[in-house]
Amino acid sequence: MEYKIGIDVGGTFTDFLLTSEDGPSEVYKVLSTPDDPAVGLLNGLSEMAQAKQLSLNEFIDKVTAIVHGTTVTTNAVLTRKGAKTGLLTTKGLRDALEMRRGIREKQYDNRYTNVEPLVPRYLRYPVEERLDYKGETVVDLKEQDVLDAVELFREEDVRAIAVCFMNSFANPAHEARAAEIIKEKLPDAYLTVSAGFLPSIRFYDRISTTVLNSYVGPKLKSYLVSLVKKLEDIGFKGILLIMQSNGGVISPRFAMENAAVTLLSGPAAGPVAGIEYTSIHGYNNCITVDMGGTSFDAALIKNRTPLTTTEGEIERLRIALPMLGIVTIGAGGGSIGWVDEGGLLRMGPQSAGSKPGPACYGLGGRLPTCTDADLILGYLDKDFFAGGKIPLDYDGAVTAVKENIAGKLNMDVVEAAAGMYRVINVNMAAGVREVSVKRGEDPREFPLVVAGGAGPVHACMIARELEIPVMIVPKESSIFCAAGMLMSDLKHNFVRTYTAPLNKIDKDKFIAMFDEMEKEASALLREEHIPENAFRFVYSLDMRYLKQYHELNVAITKEEIKKGDIDSIAAKFHPEHSRLYGYSLEEQGTPIELINIRLLSIGETVKPRFIEEDYDGEDPSGAFKKKRNAWLPLERRFEEVPVYDGAAIRYGNKVEGPAIIEQVNTTTFVTPEYSVLCDKYGSYTMYLKTKENEIKGKLL
Amino acid sequence: MKIDKILVSVFQRRFKSITEEMSIVLTRTTRSPILCEAKDFVTGLYDAKGKMLEQTENLPILSFSLGPVCEYIVDYFGEEIYPGDVIFHNDVFSMGNQNNDVAVYKPIFYKDKLVAWAAAKGHQADIGGAVAGGYNPRATEVWQEALRIPPVKVYEKGKLRKDVWDLIFANIRFDIVAADMRAQIGSCVVGERGILTLVEKYGIDVFESHKQYLFDSTEKMMRSEIKTIPNGVYRGEASVYYDGRTPGSKYKIRVKITVEDEHITFDYSDTDPQTPGFVNGTYTSSASATLLTFLQMVNPDIPHNDGMVRPVKIIIPEGTILNAKYPAATTFGNHLCPPNADAVMRALSRAIPKRITAGWNQLLCYLTTGFDLRKKDNYVDIGFIGLKGGSGGTDGVDGYDHIGMIDASGGVLDQDYEMFEQQTPHLLLKHEYWKDSAGAGQWRGGLGVETEFKIGGDKTKVVTFGDGDVEPAFGLFGGKDSTLNKIELRYPDGKVYTATTKDLVEAVPEGTVLFQQAGGGGGYGHPHLRNAEKVALEVRNGIIGIDRAKELYGVVVDPENFTVNINKTKQLRSNEPTK
Repeated sequence: MEYKIGIDVGGTFTDFLLTSEDGPSEVYKVLSTPDDPAVGLLNGLSEMAQAKQLSLNEFIDKVTAIVHGTTVTTNAVLTRKGAKTGLLTTKGLRDALEMRRGIREKQYDNRYTNVEPLVPRYLRYPVEERLDYKGETVVDLKEQDVLDAVELFREEDVRAIAVCFMNSFANPAHEARAAEIIKEKLPDAYLTVSAGFLPSIRFYDRISTTVLNSYVGPKLKSYLVSLVKKLEDIGFKGILLIMQSNGGVISPRFAMENAAVTLLSGPAAGPVAGIEYTSIHGYNNCITVDMGGTSFDAALIKNRTPLTTTEGEIERLRIALPMLGIVTIGAGGGSIGWVDEGGLLRMGPQSAGSKPGPACYGLGGRLPTCTDADLILGYLDKDFFAGGKIPLDYDGAVTAVKENIAGKLNMDVVEAAAGMYRVINVNMAAGVREVSVKRGEDPREFPLVVAGGAGPVHACMIARELEIPVMIVPKESSIFCAAGMLMSDLKHNFVRTYTAPLNKIDKDKFIAMFDEMEKEASALLREEHIPENAFRFVYSLDMRYLKQYHELNVAITKEEIKKGDIDSIAAKFHPEHSRLYGYSLEEQGTPIELINIRLLSIGETVKPRFIEEDYDGEDPSGAFKKKRNAWLPLERRFEEVPVYDGAAIRYGNKVEGPAIIEQVNTTTFVTPEYSVLCDKYGSYTMYLKTKENEIKGKLL
Repeated sequence: MKIDKILVSVFQRRFKSITEEMSIVLTRTTRSPILCEAKDFVTGLYDAKGKMLEQTENLPILSFSLGPVCEYIVDYFGEEIYPGDVIFHNDVFSMGNQNNDVAVYKPIFYKDKLVAWAAAKGHQADIGGAVAGGYNPRATEVWQEALRIPPVKVYEKGKLRKDVWDLIFANIRFDIVAADMRAQIGSCVVGERGILTLVEKYGIDVFESHKQYLFDSTEKMMRSEIKTIPNGVYRGEASVYYDGRTPGSKYKIRVKITVEDEHITFDYSDTDPQTPGFVNGTYTSSASATLLTFLQMVNPDIPHNDGMVRPVKIIIPEGTILNAKYPAATTFGNHLCPPNADAVMRALSRAIPKRITAGWNQLLCYLTTGFDLRKKDNYVDIGFIGLKGGSGGTDGVDGYDHIGMIDASGGVLDQDYEMFEQQTPHLLLKHEYWKDSAGAGQWRGGLGVETEFKIGGDKTKVVTFGDGDVEPAFGLFGGKDSTLNKIELRYPDGKVYTATTKDLVEAVPEGTVLFQQAGGGGGYGHPHLRNAEKVALEVRNGIIGIDRAKELYGVVVDPENFTVNINKTKQLRSNEPTK
């Protein structure tokens, strides 16, 4: 028996999905250990070994791969506990990092302060040197400045250094020389050089991303070094892979040097999982939503490809690395309900978190949260929350809603709770609109994959708000990201800036730039033990109409590159512009300008197999538990609805709404408009009753 | 009709997200850096009568003219508004705020009934007139500044009126303007889609009644905010220096603010008469200035719709510098916002001392136009990089460094340096915080910025517009004033020319260095009350000089290790009363 394990370290729990060649996959959850996440991780491994009645050594010997999502870098930024970092930058431009181009995100709030820069001004060292817009030298590099900076950094005990010079995307020479000097004088410092790390135009984007990498690098490096050692110590001989923000995985060595690629890795495995859970039913597109305790993540996947952006941010700091376009909003089980001065009901973004938690946890929380509303409305069972591990205080929930909402709005408690339920659903629907409608996609055409502990309670009403007919609640819904990690491929992004009108590009240079990136990519994949037949390359260009400022990324083929087929490339650009923004300038004959060329290299990994169950027939009565009163939001009344035991639901069972399906970590509330059909892999498909025939055709 | 209060929240959220979607179209697809990089535009939705439903206000000074113009358009075309119409407007004598700020309006019809309007307004790179880019300090009449566009249909019933389109763009210098106006139309199409989805889903009656309820609840919110201001009459004034024609000229903005329970009135009747040049406001640019300043003193979460403005009354008599009579030149009008804001802050400093800020840096901006020899093409560039001074400190919080004019309040961005060098022939030499530029205080003002670049290309003209070279941003409650603005041209032959604040300098040779200082914001509270450790850190960071730390803050810092000399500091600070 061989195992693969997906591990997602979250704020409260560390989730594990254990898969094997022939058995069903298994879910484990242990408490996270924020001081050293590796401890929780090893606790989980021990628990699994015990469950298999093996010693840890015996167990780990059978594990061939561990895929790991880490929040080490994310937390280093959120808590400002990254490395003491120094920056070398072009003289005269010392403050670009801190200025952030002069934005104040809340224009009407004079108490809203700028973000503390990751490198204080006295450690931002100006170096005399200058390249022009084409990369030609205007002022030579003054090496003495670099030496002086290194001296200051040594005195100040700086552990990480970033180098970012003006226009270095066009010529890396000055940065490279500075790096040589630094490596010689301070060989132990963690060094990031902008032209090597992110050779693309836009100074603020590059300097911010480069500094982020240095700031979080030492932390991730020491964590991974220690994790690798701990795993080796218990006898692990398999492959360890790390989740990145772009939805791919990488080797620990690459992650150590490019730490910033893991900055938003937390939710990044979700979309990958979404693709797998929907494509087995023949879907190429889907929207994934993951509702946890404090936040709600939404992502859109089209043609089995998650949407990617290079315009991400963390804590208002720019990261210009490709990352999945996941929208996170402050909506979760812990979101607090409140009434504003105008008498409107609001939910979040403040969250009661896990401490003090929702009022119904009885841990001292007195403010009404989404979970309190869900309890009052009968969706949650006070005796079966987390499988009964957390008994819920119904009266506490009622008091909190009464005092803070119902009283102020002159409503009864149920009406107020129903309002809370509705408002948060609308907020989450807005999050879904942001990844779909805002990008010109119609959410009704996408099945909604619903994950997270709180997600399936709200799914039907989010779907209804957006008129989404089909939802999928994966069997591993509560540890969705851990599952996604095992389904992720190795991914590396490469970029080069080449600014020229598309019809005037130097074809040899164009081809050579792609070749160079491809060579680099292949070397990396080989190093990560990926066989050549599992290599895949995705080529794309950032282009725009002449004189526009923002680019549009358009995928192109190897053939088009080889032939330098400009016409064919242009023919792809115009319709894409029109689709996204409502117009193209093809008729006007407006020239297209090339800005960046990009390569995504993929090393395909072997995915876990979904285990098929035997068909059990439509009748779900084997899983019937009892009946309970639950609020029907459209009918606006309580009704006694059947409650089913999710663990006992089998392939083919059909549950008609209204109904509730309880699993240990998730409750699914099915409104009267929808029904649920369990597929052969144990996941639920929820669909509008009018769509039954279509769904049966897909699933049975 | 019964009101579903929850649905009201849904509508409010939806209106907001539609206007944000409209903004994304402009950011992503416009060409002028003024729009796509600096986001000098606003998108909004209005009801059938032109009342504001919601806006996304990247540059607030443009914002509060969109509603009044919409009402004007509704009135102007009366029955002759059809599905598929697209209307342009910039005319400052029919509620426009500035000639360069050209708006697109698109009526939204549901089953042949006008239900709402989508609008997008942006600052165009050129709008005709005597000078490229529109800022013409020599203008005395509107025609010397711009092409006037009173409401005009460029599409009627979905059909392009090619003759009208060509007439407009035949009078505008740069072809990117037509492309940018196309993007604004695209933005309105996106707004239309959003509203129609909503109306189709809920029906027109629900839409109307719930919209009305939203207005009322927002009004209630605003009223309860006003109620927190003590009743009374508060007066404030500020000066506008140099009208672009007579050196040394000076005008006063005077405001009388009356707070009466849940109502507030801003009365500018005592303000000085209009100037002979272009330093004149329009009613909507001035009222926007008042409103955006006031909005910084109330709960920032109040939704922006018609209900928000109902309890606020703004009186600006025609013929004053804030509301010039036809056919005055007015392109400078948006930039009367900083002194207007000063007058309002000063007035309310007595009523709500903890909610106002000390003075913000006044805007001083340059604009370069010329011929880029590399691309063999003309360019125009507004110097967003250089104009960003600091905001004033307030109770408990320092001013924001490098935020720029209060008209934008941090909504307008610097050009990215590398994009700046791709798009203009200039070479950026310096863009850094300006040491000692902030007004000292317990809560210091925001830092100003020094900018320096070498001008490249041919036929370069430099236009300047702004203020702040006579009077610095003011300190409050013992806080100190900050530093002055300056724009200087350092010619290759060694001559130095200090531009006036409303200048047009022609034939600037290649190799000339433009040097700009944008001053800091004013300090709040006596500097001796400032945390000494903070001062020491700022000395170490090189933004406060060690002597100034001693002189102004009474903090003695060790130049070797940047620690505070506690005894000497105590001694210095005990010598001066701080209240």
